[in-house]
Amino acid sequence: MSTFREHKTIADRAASDRSRHRQKIEKAIKESIRDVVAEESIIGQSGNKKIRIPVKGIKEHRFVYGSNEKSKRVGSAQGKDVSKGQQIGHRRKQQPADGDKAGDKPGEEMYEIEMSLEELAGYLFSDLELPELEKKNFKFTTQEKMKRKGKRPYGIRPRLSKKETIKHKIRRKKAAIKAGSYDPESGDRFTFHESDLRYKHIAPVLKENTAAVVFFVMDVSGSMTKSRKYLARSFFFLLYQFLNHKYSSIDVVFISHTADANEVNEEQFFTQVPNGGTLVSTGLCKVEEIIEKRYHPNNWNIYTFYCGDGDNWAIDNEEALGSFSRLKEYNQVMCYAEVGDREAGYGNLFGNGSGERKLWDWTRTAEDKKFKRIRISKSADIWPAFKRLFGGRE
Amino acid sequence: MSDWSMDEIQDWDRKICVLGKSLNLDWYPIDYEICDYKEMIGHMAYTGLPTHYRHWSYGKSFDRIQTEYNLGMSGLPYEMIINSNPSISYLMTENPMATHILTMAHCVGHSDFFKNNRMFAETEADTVIDRFKSAGKRVKKYMEDPNIGVDAVERILDACHSIRFQVPRTPGIKRRNHKDLKKYYTKLIQNDKTSKFDNFNINQLPLEPDSNVLKFISENDRHLAEWERDLIRIVEQESLYFIPQAFTKIMNEGWACMIHEKIVQALGLPAKYHISFMRLHNQVVRPHLGQINPYHLGYKVFKHIEEKHGFDECLRIREVHNDETFLKAYLDRELCQELNLFSFSFDKKASVNRVAEISDDPGWQTVRDDLIKNVGLNSVPVVLVKELQKNGTLVLEHQHDGRDIELSEANKVFEFINNLWSGDVKFTTVIEEEVWEF
Repeated sequence: MSTFREHKTIADRAASDRSRHRQKIEKAIKESIRDVVAEESIIGQSGNKKIRIPVKGIKEHRFVYGSNEKSKRVGSAQGKDVSKGQQIGHRRKQQPADGDKAGDKPGEEMYEIEMSLEELAGYLFSDLELPELEKKNFKFTTQEKMKRKGKRPYGIRPRLSKKETIKHKIRRKKAAIKAGSYDPESGDRFTFHESDLRYKHIAPVLKENTAAVVFFVMDVSGSMTKSRKYLARSFFFLLYQFLNHKYSSIDVVFISHTADANEVNEEQFFTQVPNGGTLVSTGLCKVEEIIEKRYHPNNWNIYTFYCGDGDNWAIDNEEALGSFSRLKEYNQVMCYAEVGDREAGYGNLFGNGSGERKLWDWTRTAEDKKFKRIRISKSADIWPAFKRLFGGRE
Repeated sequence: MSDWSMDEIQDWDRKICVLGKSLNLDWYPIDYEICDYKEMIGHMAYTGLPTHYRHWSYGKSFDRIQTEYNLGMSGLPYEMIINSNPSISYLMTENPMATHILTMAHCVGHSDFFKNNRMFAETEADTVIDRFKSAGKRVKKYMEDPNIGVDAVERILDACHSIRFQVPRTPGIKRRNHKDLKKYYTKLIQNDKTSKFDNFNINQLPLEPDSNVLKFISENDRHLAEWERDLIRIVEQESLYFIPQAFTKIMNEGWACMIHEKIVQALGLPAKYHISFMRLHNQVVRPHLGQINPYHLGYKVFKHIEEKHGFDECLRIREVHNDETFLKAYLDRELCQELNLFSFSFDKKASVNRVAEISDDPGWQTVRDDLIKNVGLNSVPVVLVKELQKNGTLVLEHQHDGRDIELSEANKVFEFINNLWSGDVKFTTVIEEEVWEF
């Protein structure tokens, strides 16, 4: 005789382990995004475009045998003819040539997650901010923020305010003593009551920030090879997405320069074909000119991002450095980003060695809290550099 | 709506038990729990144990099972039974009466197997539920301890899980601890007349290669905290408990299938149940093309034995064999040919699977031996603790038997062992006939 029980549990025993597993997947997504941000397919896309992000599954590993010829497996085939050397099953997909790409290895569990650029930005930029925003006369940039808004008697557990709660308890205790319903000498505990509980209340407020303008200055001269230009564009694209995502009203000024600088619109900026020589100072002068005309430093937070390959006409280096130093005074923060490999640029075929110092070296003297230099020699550098600039915790 | 009532189930259970006794079966009393499909998924995800400890990997398998079930990719098992005294089994409310009858008869077979097969002698079925409950509580306590926390617990458990199958493959044989081994070897050396032990270092650790990696780490890493040691022991104990089941999967399922068929045939089911029962039974014991269905193989072999030697011989065999010896002794040429077994391997150049051997004469022996190489834990590489060096380096060695291990996986496991062992770790194996070390 067996026994029978009708089991009625409502609690889902797996709930916490499932959420823990999902947390791990979420973390994996965030990590994969970093590899994806610099990929060709997302640069220059509009916000609605869906992007597929491969995420490595949270795999459990153990010692297993590989599929080599000596490791044989056995199957049954009742009612079928089988002969030695016969091919069974399907041909496995050929591995692509670059084997180190994530997910190429057989047996790797992969999830593919589809998200729009907007959602992606949410993941990426959640803890980044424009540095050193100051209060200026104009108020424009709005930003939604969660603000504390007093205490209230209901709320979620993590927002329980112990201090307020205990205050209410003490208050009630004193009143009880006064009314004679509780005797402190009796040794009874005066317990918490539900009405004592106080929770911190937070509510979203629109934060009025001060006005900000961001200058994008890019070198589009002939020396910007396809790959360098791609790096520069990626950097600006990410920057642009960041600003758009985080700040609802912010001015962006696009300037592209060769031996001569022009203010261009967004589309031109991201698509322009490079040619011509390089005079870095022209781009910076253009910035100064525009600041003079339209953005008074008293009213605006100014940010300038310059991106180029560091090749400049030797005669212009002094001039450029001068402009950088001058601009630094107006800017909250300014950034010089150099793309391409540092070593590769040195002693190039036409250079005469010592004379061909790159702007990277020139700008070293100017570097301080307000003037930042970053180097992007490959696409994997973009995200870490970006995080460094905007103070993301990592 | 369901076509059954509790009274009906109990009625059939009574009849099943009577028939089971008449077959000379001897099983633990069975506790059936009636649960819905969601709880069933929960039981499956947590290896059936109602009191299993928490870990994200079980949440992962829960999600996977649920997704597959919801998409109709796979059904849920009809039976799930735990090797405990009393045995715990689950009946899913959604199932019809015919399925319950098959399940209950099937469970009698399993429970009888647990109680009688010698592989299970050391699993302590009487206390297993309480032991798991206590382990589950301790894991929970460590997770909630502010000085430890979930992340730290997971660091240990993740690592332990990666080597959870690196435990001795000799169920029923007790482990000798270092002290006993030392005594044993000292005696051997003293009585040694063949100078075989002249170069034997009595102070080395371990004295003989240790197949229980988890146990060795928990006993010999002096930097482990007590809770870390406890977690390692919990995983090791669970593995030891489950290993007999891995060793007898084919026999156990074959036996249960044979028993449920015998019992149900004797029950005299009304026609409405009989047809569904037959359909279900045939589904369970059908061969899977190109694979081995343990239910099918075990059932066929037991049937074959019964035909030749009678049922009493089957009863004896279910006590003394495990899958390896069972197949070696009773999977003969006739049966290999009937099941049309063949072995295959992966041809790297053409990247296809190719048939290596078929069940002709004398090929069937090779096929059988290849099959044996894959049953139970034989499909898991053997890794032994070779040496613990003076500087704290743990030396592990893969026992290469001709089959290379998957390096990318081994690398990951190596990282995990490094997370667990406080000193350096060395691991050697053979890849394409060359020694490989990391």
